[in-house]
Amino acid sequence: MEKAKISASQLFILMVLFELGSALLVPLAIDAKQDAWLAILLGMVFSFVLLLVYHRLYLYYPNLLPTEYMQKILGKVMGTVLAFVYILYFMYDASRVLRDFGEMLLAFAYPDTPLFIANALLMLVIIYTIRKGIEVIARSGELLFIFMYVLAVAGFILIVSSGLIEFKNLQPVLEEGLFPVLKVVFTQTLYFPFTEVIVFTMILPYLNNPKKAKVTMLCATGLSGINLIITMLINVCVLGVNLTARSQFPLLSTVQTIQVADFLERLDVFFMLALITTIFFKICVLFYAAVVGTANLFKVKSPSRLSYPLGLIILFLSITIASNVQEHIHEGLKVAMFALHIPLLVIIPPLLLLVTFLKNRKKHRRKTFD
Amino acid sequence: MMTMTFLLTSCWSKKELTDLAIVAAMGLDKTKDGRYHLTLQIINPGNVAGGMQGGGGGTQSPPVTIYSASGDNIVEASRRASGRISRRLYYAHANLVVVGEKLAREEGINTLMDALDRDPEFRNTSTLVIANHSTAADLVKTLTSVDKIPANKVLKTLEFTQRKWGENVKTSLQDVMKSLESPGKGTVVSGFRLVGNPQQAEKLDNLQESAPAATLQASGIAVLKQGKLVDWLYGKPARGTVWILDKIQGTDINIDWAGKKEAIAYQTVRQKTSVSAQVKNGKPHISVHTRVEGDIGDMEVPVDITNPKVITKIEQSVRKEIKKELKTAIERAQKNKTDILGFGEVVHRSRPNQFKKLKPEWNDVYFPKLNVDITVEAYVRRAGLRNKSFLSGIKENQK
Amino acid sequence: MVKLIKNYRRVLESMSSFFKDRKPKKKRQQNDENQTTDYPIEQIQVSLSGNLNMIKRKTGNSSDVVIREIKMGRNSDIKTAIVYVDGIVDNQSIQEYLLQSMMKDDHKEEINQHNALDLLSEDMMTIGNISSITNLDDLFASLMAGDTLILIDGVDRALSASTKGGEKRSISESTTQMVVRGPKGAFTESLGTNTAMIRRIIKTPDLWMESLKVGRVTKTDVTLMYIHGVANDKVIKEIRQRLNRIDIDSILESGYIEQLIEDETMTPFPTMYNTERPDVVAGNLLEGRIAIFVDGTPFVLLAPAVFMQFFQSAEDYYARFDIATSIRLLRIFMFLISLIAPATYVAVTTFHQEMVPTTLIVAIAAQREAVPFPAFVEALLMEITFEILREAGIRLPKAIGSAVSIVGALVIGQAAVQASIVSPAMVIIVSITAISSFATPSFDMAISARLIRFLFMLGAATFGFYGIILVLLMMVVHLCSLRSFGVPYMAPFAPFIPVNNGDTVVRLPWWTLRQRPRLISANTVREGKSQRPQPPSSRGMVNRDLEEGDNNEA
Repeated sequence: MEKAKISASQLFILMVLFELGSALLVPLAIDAKQDAWLAILLGMVFSFVLLLVYHRLYLYYPNLLPTEYMQKILGKVMGTVLAFVYILYFMYDASRVLRDFGEMLLAFAYPDTPLFIANALLMLVIIYTIRKGIEVIARSGELLFIFMYVLAVAGFILIVSSGLIEFKNLQPVLEEGLFPVLKVVFTQTLYFPFTEVIVFTMILPYLNNPKKAKVTMLCATGLSGINLIITMLINVCVLGVNLTARSQFPLLSTVQTIQVADFLERLDVFFMLALITTIFFKICVLFYAAVVGTANLFKVKSPSRLSYPLGLIILFLSITIASNVQEHIHEGLKVAMFALHIPLLVIIPPLLLLVTFLKNRKKHRRKTFD
Repeated sequence: MMTMTFLLTSCWSKKELTDLAIVAAMGLDKTKDGRYHLTLQIINPGNVAGGMQGGGGGTQSPPVTIYSASGDNIVEASRRASGRISRRLYYAHANLVVVGEKLAREEGINTLMDALDRDPEFRNTSTLVIANHSTAADLVKTLTSVDKIPANKVLKTLEFTQRKWGENVKTSLQDVMKSLESPGKGTVVSGFRLVGNPQQAEKLDNLQESAPAATLQASGIAVLKQGKLVDWLYGKPARGTVWILDKIQGTDINIDWAGKKEAIAYQTVRQKTSVSAQVKNGKPHISVHTRVEGDIGDMEVPVDITNPKVITKIEQSVRKEIKKELKTAIERAQKNKTDILGFGEVVHRSRPNQFKKLKPEWNDVYFPKLNVDITVEAYVRRAGLRNKSFLSGIKENQK
Repeated sequence: MVKLIKNYRRVLESMSSFFKDRKPKKKRQQNDENQTTDYPIEQIQVSLSGNLNMIKRKTGNSSDVVIREIKMGRNSDIKTAIVYVDGIVDNQSIQEYLLQSMMKDDHKEEINQHNALDLLSEDMMTIGNISSITNLDDLFASLMAGDTLILIDGVDRALSASTKGGEKRSISESTTQMVVRGPKGAFTESLGTNTAMIRRIIKTPDLWMESLKVGRVTKTDVTLMYIHGVANDKVIKEIRQRLNRIDIDSILESGYIEQLIEDETMTPFPTMYNTERPDVVAGNLLEGRIAIFVDGTPFVLLAPAVFMQFFQSAEDYYARFDIATSIRLLRIFMFLISLIAPATYVAVTTFHQEMVPTTLIVAIAAQREAVPFPAFVEALLMEITFEILREAGIRLPKAIGSAVSIVGALVIGQAAVQASIVSPAMVIIVSITAISSFATPSFDMAISARLIRFLFMLGAATFGFYGIILVLLMMVVHLCSLRSFGVPYMAPFAPFIPVNNGDTVVRLPWWTLRQRPRLISANTVREGKSQRPQPPSSRGMVNRDLEEGDNNEA
């Protein structure tokens, strides 16, 4: 653990930026067609439950990184193995996001550039950032948060003033009933992006005021959930359900339709700017968690030096995980969900909580009997 | 220095402005052997902008240059065209797509949509136009007088005529795609016609005359059923269709008065049309309600509009006139068995479950037999700068 | 032969006395006050001639060292001498006070070797500041600083009278930081004048000064100034430590000190603020900063510094809040323009042509038809030309100055465009950039913007907007990682302290800025409550029919 402290507002900002990360990019929950917004809303609400689980674990061990307290809960060997699995999960997630980002850039702006170069450049900046530690990440987050929101508000105003929004596209509501919506929630939205905040359990120990953790986490999830809902609403209203479902990057297509006053057209570059910012933070947080976790597990003295090798690993992983976009998306939606998300995000943390709870009860009982 | 040269030579996606051929409009036709024929209108920057470089005396060259190519699909045709152009085709500013009438009738535009939709460079917001009684190539090759770039003329004409007269609509590719995907699968696209000799239209001397012999004009609305052109609408049915689609912004309705036909001109300022649907006993039922506000523009008979009762009577006449027009439009669409008015979508939105049963045969069975209730509210708000008509003034003086 | 031996002996003697003088210099012991007859080997000699010889030898018989011998005492047998360096002393005070009091005073009859110093210093001298010197280092230090030395035969101490003077520049207007409204005087090269100007503005006894001499050869006076209770003690200690650590032979300007004590050298951004205006220094002292004055330069250093400071000018605080806020926003906007304008132009015309409206892109394409270079090379050429013009313009004498602007603007700009070497749009962009870069009040920040601009252009030329955004991200991360004497460089943005943000990008009215910057000062209360100015009665409509005694008009 490094000697750094971040404040509650910085944690809030990091969480919002993280969750918006690559979720702004993809057609989120579009399998629920017009009710995508409902699916996101339900996903957000259900993820509060899991958030509370993570928070409770944090409360039991407020100064320890999860890699450490896993060892305490499950014993040294099992704990180390589990922690290592989580670290690998963070790195895989980071490489997925990096791949998403590279694909986006190549799809609409730089079609001739090799994927490796686009990813490598971003990775260089991220490695430079990680070496400086969590405080610098948090501070940069504060600055760029304002920048992002200015872009978002400006974009929203432009869309509204272009007269593109048609609320009729949202009807009929719940055309096929609630079941498809719930299916989407439990297979996709709950995990991506909401419960990926498990990575923040690696950052919570740096909070300077542990009492504010719960409120901050819930508010951040709420705010980013609302943002995502608004984004998907706008996407469906402007483009219509079919086009949104067919698009790789629906927000990009929405931004491309902005036409104001005859000269503000094709503002997709601003979309790119906003997205680079959010994805930058998502990868930074995931990568940072991996670096700090590794440094902690293997007792490395200077974690900054670890950032180079791990960064290179993530870079190469992002190139090799899929050979084309379709495979990448398929992996993300179908394979990763069962193999990674459900066990690591939904099953194990409550188990850990249960074990801790029982251990504490035993301790209490022993104490009261003595 | 080394890094700079290294970086400069290896930036892959660089597009220098001088290496780009900016495409202003694209025309799609079908050739005799079933391949696509692409006609590209490329802007000559030096002739359009009137750059500083000493100015060109001597021969004036046209502001656009036309290149064509053929291929089995649009992508192939576009790449083949590179053999004729000294630059790379750049579609990001192509705001106009013209589809030839033959292509629209025989094959339909459905197959063209994917290439244009998928490409990151091409804009989804570009306008789609169908060439009326000509080929797209002829339309694209025409030079125009007031606007240097002919594509601009087409676009701006469409925009202003939609606002002022209402018989044409400016439909973007995205709108067309949306309505083709809707349950009715019918859509309307504006048509443009080349009036005059196509050979003459390509020449620069066409522009030297004050009244050019060959011009482009907006003409009619094309009705597309499942992507294929089935009918052209002109005049009242066209305007009625646009009216029901809620796209009228301003137009002129003439009503008969005191025995004279088309005596009073009523200019609409604002209107709102709403369509609602009900399903009774498995039978769908549509109500169209429109609310119009407008001013009086011209009175060719002496009318005393300071009397409110007269105004009410004028409003009623306007109502009748509009209802007649809307009815003509609906009947025409029903005759074509194409739901271009979006009624299917309305039923789908309000009664999704029942629409599921009706959907497969909507166009052919249910739509033509639809009962449509039309209610019109028309209001006269103002009458320009004068109250009584000029003719009433004369009449009074003669008394 | 005998002569040789005599010479040899003389040489030996002088060498031995030479060595006797040299060796003890290494030890710095204080001698005792006793006036013994044995020679204190390292210190001031008892014999006056010995002392004078030593002084002459040490200064190499410099022609501006003046030695004036005076005879005092009952029988005029006490030989005294005054030594001073002509040019850095105030001749008038030497003549009127020193010499006069020594030569014309009645007490001079009573002087003898034993009470000479006391009598001189306590009864006879009419100069204000007199101190007694016992070792050679202090002797030469005060001689070279402009004090007058008074040596007495038979006494191994000397007196030094403070007679610093000489020609100094008078207080004139500031040439680098001009304001329309506000005090116009600027610092001069003399340390005493400068500190006095601050004292005149801040009249509290809590304004403390500490002096030290830095630089082995130049022995420059450096003064630390801060307001006790408002400034942070840890920072003061840190600055003192760093100043004491400096081991360099010369300090010619405050820039030397800045570069030797700053937090981070590998950054284009300055982490210490410098100014030549006393009101700016006073304002910053009141916020809890520490000022470092260096003798010989009018530029005073202020630590710690934060990023926003470099965009604030003194005038912001004297103008009312609406105009001050607008001008601040304009400044920041212009800074951003000067950073990314050429890069944006290059990126848009090379990679993202779809963003530009069609008519504009056609116009730009028409201009670029005839230009042989790619956009990036063109931009680089124009920027470098402009930098050359700027550098040349600084050093030109005033007479030729206007010729340069004619050459630069008309000939190079216009002719280059017509010769189709650059396009007109590029010239416009470069001119706008150059003008915007002058809007930054602080010269250091403008220079860093100049350098970073090239980096942005490089990023734009290789990857378009992606490159620009990557460089921007790196810049943001770099800025956030800087600290200036413990204070994060981007405070109060990151970490976000809402109450301090009233004075950053905007400038809220004075009655709202109630707290000092929390991370810089130790005592954050600046203003009392309810400072908002209000006329005595309400501004709206006031009812008239109130009973007597019910009015609570304050």
